[in-house]
Parts: sequence; structure tokens; C-alpha cells
Amino acid sequence: MSADARDDIAARRTRAALRNPTARRRAHLVNLLATIVMSAAALLLVVVLFAVIFILLRAGLPAISWTFLTTGGTFFEEGGGIAPQIFVSLYMLVLSLLITTPLGVGAAIYLAEYAKPSRLTSAIRFSTEALSSVPSVVFGVFGAVVFLSYFQFGFSILSGALTLTLLNLPLMVRISEDAIRSVPASYREASLALGGTQWETIRKAVLPSAVPGIVTAMVLTGGRIIGETAPLILTTGTTISPNAQYSLNPLATGETLAVHIWVLKIVGVPGLTDANSVANGAAAVLLIMVLLLNIGAALFTSRLERRLRGTSGAPRASRRKKE
Amino acid sequence: MRSAPLPTAEQMPIASTDSEQEIMLQFENASLFYGAFRAVKDLNLPIKARSITAIIGPSGCGKSTLLRSINRMNDRVSGFRVAGRLMFDGENIYDTSIDSVELRRRIGMVFQKPNPFPQSIYSNVAFGPQLYERMPKKQLDDLVEASLRAAALWDDVKDKLHQSALGLSGGQQQRLCIARAIATQPEMLLMDEPCSALDPISTLKIEELMLELKRNYTIVIVTHNMQQASRASDTAVMMTMDDDRSGYVVEVSATEQLFTNPQNPITEAYVTGRFG
Repeated sequence: MSADARDDIAARRTRAALRNPTARRRAHLVNLLATIVMSAAALLLVVVLFAVIFILLRAGLPAISWTFLTTGGTFFEEGGGIAPQIFVSLYMLVLSLLITTPLGVGAAIYLAEYAKPSRLTSAIRFSTEALSSVPSVVFGVFGAVVFLSYFQFGFSILSGALTLTLLNLPLMVRISEDAIRSVPASYREASLALGGTQWETIRKAVLPSAVPGIVTAMVLTGGRIIGETAPLILTTGTTISPNAQYSLNPLATGETLAVHIWVLKIVGVPGLTDANSVANGAAAVLLIMVLLLNIGAALFTSRLERRLRGTSGAPRASRRKKE
Repeated sequence: MRSAPLPTAEQMPIASTDSEQEIMLQFENASLFYGAFRAVKDLNLPIKARSITAIIGPSGCGKSTLLRSINRMNDRVSGFRVAGRLMFDGENIYDTSIDSVELRRRIGMVFQKPNPFPQSIYSNVAFGPQLYERMPKKQLDDLVEASLRAAALWDDVKDKLHQSALGLSGGQQQRLCIARAIATQPEMLLMDEPCSALDPISTLKIEELMLELKRNYTIVIVTHNMQQASRASDTAVMMTMDDDRSGYVVEVSATEQLFTNPQNPITEAYVTGRFG
């Protein structure tokens, strides 16, 4: 650049007013507007959440009582309790997570740590993506064909848990893989340089840091297990046999709380005049269960991170930082 | 599996004072490749035991590639291969029957950025030893203490062994990484610009520590810091690269000679700051 050109540029310099600037008024206005719009969107989210909680609890809380939570209802009497359905929901949650988590985390470890880019891995990724957009009722039909008819599990908690596993695996794999990939490469190098094998490195240096992400995957999966209806109606059923209540037999038929709400609201139960209020109570209980699941997981991960990160004052911002 | 009684910092073996220094590692006509690209060529480089060898040279000349070939960390990079031989303990470490995992146990490494695990200080140091053997808690405690003492970190951390390593300062974290590497009782320590992320005071501490450690360990350090190379090494290796971007060794000399009386004009230009 010649000295002339430099002088030329310097000569064009304008001094922006630092107080009440009039230049770029439009940019400042748009900036203000953007701040307002983004804050409003975030606020709306919170409002919606609290509205859902408020409305469901207001409708449902009057129906909830100790008896409601601890006894089973009958089809012919008022004031039906939902204890057996809560039990089935929790059993379904545990059983399905027990199947989904090892499978999903295993596949995620393979994809993140072992797989080299190849046709096989892109096929796996494509199937994962494709599976995650299949409607859940289609999984129900599939589960009915495979688990009920072919494997002869019949309408059972096991058939439902396996069907939900298929439904949830893509989510589980995707989030776990992300969690594993976001563990800094420097941890892997440190472990390998100390003479760790690949598996020791994964187990001792990588997975501990991926646990919070894997727990998040379990919570999202758990929410879907508790909340799904369509696939379960087709694979687990809509009734609990009175002589198989609170049964741990995975081949027993069952009815989760969510399915129970669907039955009460949509199918209707002849002669049961308070079906609506039972359904509202059940919905409130379902909501509380999901909230507890989320809060429990959040407490667990924050405690874990505190332990991993050291003092509570440790900066969180550095957590996601890669290498 | 070695299960010799563990030496404490004070009891660790003292180097022999022979003037004929033993060679710990030797590159023999070695070239290092990434796929078709020859990153470093025609290496004939002996690394003396129980001394500090500094590798200097401009960015991109293959210093880190050379360093990481010594403990086969580059095996993870697809397409990496070695022609020629790299002799350690009478074996070519790139022989197909060599177990790279066992090799890395004997050749420790300290990285550019301190990389402690997000675990307690104690678990960090115990990480390596616990991979190889189950030892009684007392024995492990002693090994952790000896390693931390050897890395001049014991007094800083003895009251908070079970707190997270991430609470330490950058310099302390790097010394913890050195303690972690020492805990597996390696023969060599490879250091890849270990001070580039540290302030001058922490850097000096690491250099003092290196001078202590060379009594028992063979240290190879890659550094961009000329003062560091001249202060804290016995032998200096000057590297640069050819027109085809292939790195090669220009000059190997006793550090003092390389800095005060370089034999090669490239070295002279580099150490006086006129190139690189």
C-alpha cells in the first residue's frame, strides 16, 4: 500500500458520536428488537410449561388422594385408583431402559470410537436417522407382528418394552454418540500414552465424562416410555388382569398410566361416571412422574459434574470445550 | 509385569556418571510418512540415556511427528507409517510383533496442553499403575506420593489429593501430568511443547523439574522456545524442511555448541532469530 493510499483512507475517517449516536440508528433499532424478540420467545417457553403444569394440576389434583394412588380401581365403581397402572409404568420404564441403554450406548461407543468412515457406518447412521422419523404407531404394528405373533410373547409388558426399545434406540444412540464424541481427544491421548488399551481408554477415560450426556439420553427415553400410548396399546394391552396386579412377570399383560388415560378418555368405560376425573387425576400424576424423573436426573448429573470438575465454583463454560 | 519394590523419590536410582553415555533410542535410516507424504526423512539420530534432548525447528518441520513416532502415538493417525528402524531396548519398535500398549508404558508422554482427567489428583496419578496391577492401597498411596514428590507437586497438593485435578493452576496441572507419566515408571519421557500454555514462572518450574528428572529418565522435548532449549537441554537437534515440505535433521550437537557455535548456516539463522 502506498503512503498516498494510506493517507487517503485516513482522510475519509469520520468520528462517530459516542453519546446518542445518530448514525446507524437502524442497526441499533434492529439490535434492540432482536433482543426483545429472542427474550419473548424464551419467556413464552417458560409460560407454556407453567401453563401446562398449572392446568393439568388444577384439573387433576382434586381427584388425587392417598387411596387413588395406592389402590386399584374397578370398572364398575367410582373413585378408581391407579396404583396398578403406576406400577406397570414404572416396571415398563425400568425394563425398557435396561434393554435400551446397553444396546444404545454400545452402538454409540462403536460409532464414536471404533467405526472408521465406511459404507457400513453410513448405513448405520442412515438407518438410525430413518428409524427416528418412523411414527410410533408403526412400531406398535411391527411389535405386534414380531413379538406377539412370531416370538409368541403375547400382549405383555415384555412385548411393549421391546417395542419401545426399537422406538427409542435411535435417540439413545444419537445423544450418547454426541456425548462420547464431545469428550476431549486429550483424555484419550493421555490414557493411551499411559499404556491403556483402547477399551481401558474408553471405559476409564472417555465414558466417565460422557455419563451426563448418557443420563440425558436416558431421561428423554424414559419420558417417552412413560408417555407412549399407541405402540403399547398394540403390544402390551389395555387391561391389567385383577389377579396379575403388581406382577413382575414380564409376560403378564399390562396397562401403563398413559394408556389408562387414553382408555378413560377415548374408549370410555360404560357405567363409570367419574372416568373423566380419574383421567385428569392420572394425567396430573403422569406429569409429576415425568417432572420427578427430570429433576432427579438433573440433580444426579449436577452432582456428578461437581465431583468431576472439582469445586462448585469451577467454570462450567469450559465443559464442552474440545481439545 | 514388573513388580519390583517401588522406589521413593529419594531412593530412585542415580545415573551412572560414565562419560560414554549409553544410547536409549536410535533412529536408523528412518522416514516417517502420512500416506504418500514423507513428513520426516532420513533420520539417523541417537537419543542419549538420562539426558535431555531438545528438538527445535520451524513450525511444520515434523518435530511433533518425530516425537510421537517414538511412543507410536501416531499409529492412531490413519496412513501413518515408518520406513527404516527405530531401535529401543534392542528391538525395532515398529516390528509387527511389538505391542504398542506395552511400549507406551515404558515411554511416557506429556502433552502441549495440560490434560489431567476430570478426576481427583490421586486418581490421575494412580491411573497408569492401576492399569497394570492390583496393588495394596498402601503401596499405591506410596507410589502416588513418590510420583508427586518427583514432580515437585507433593507439597502443593498433599492436603487435597482427593479434590478434582481441574482445580489446580495450569502449571500445577502440567506437573500433575508429569507425575502421572512418572507413576508408570517409564524409562523415557516425551514432552511435546510442555510449557507453551504456561506462564514464565510455571515454565521455569517445569524446566527445573526436567533437570531433576534427567537423573533417572531420558527426556526428549519439542520446543519453540529457544531460551528453554538452551537452558534445559544437553543435546539439541535442529530440524527444518525441504522444498517438498519433508522435514529433516540439520544438525545435532551439544546444546551449548549448537547455540554458540552452530555448524550449519540454517541453524545459525534460526537460533539467532533470523529465520523461522
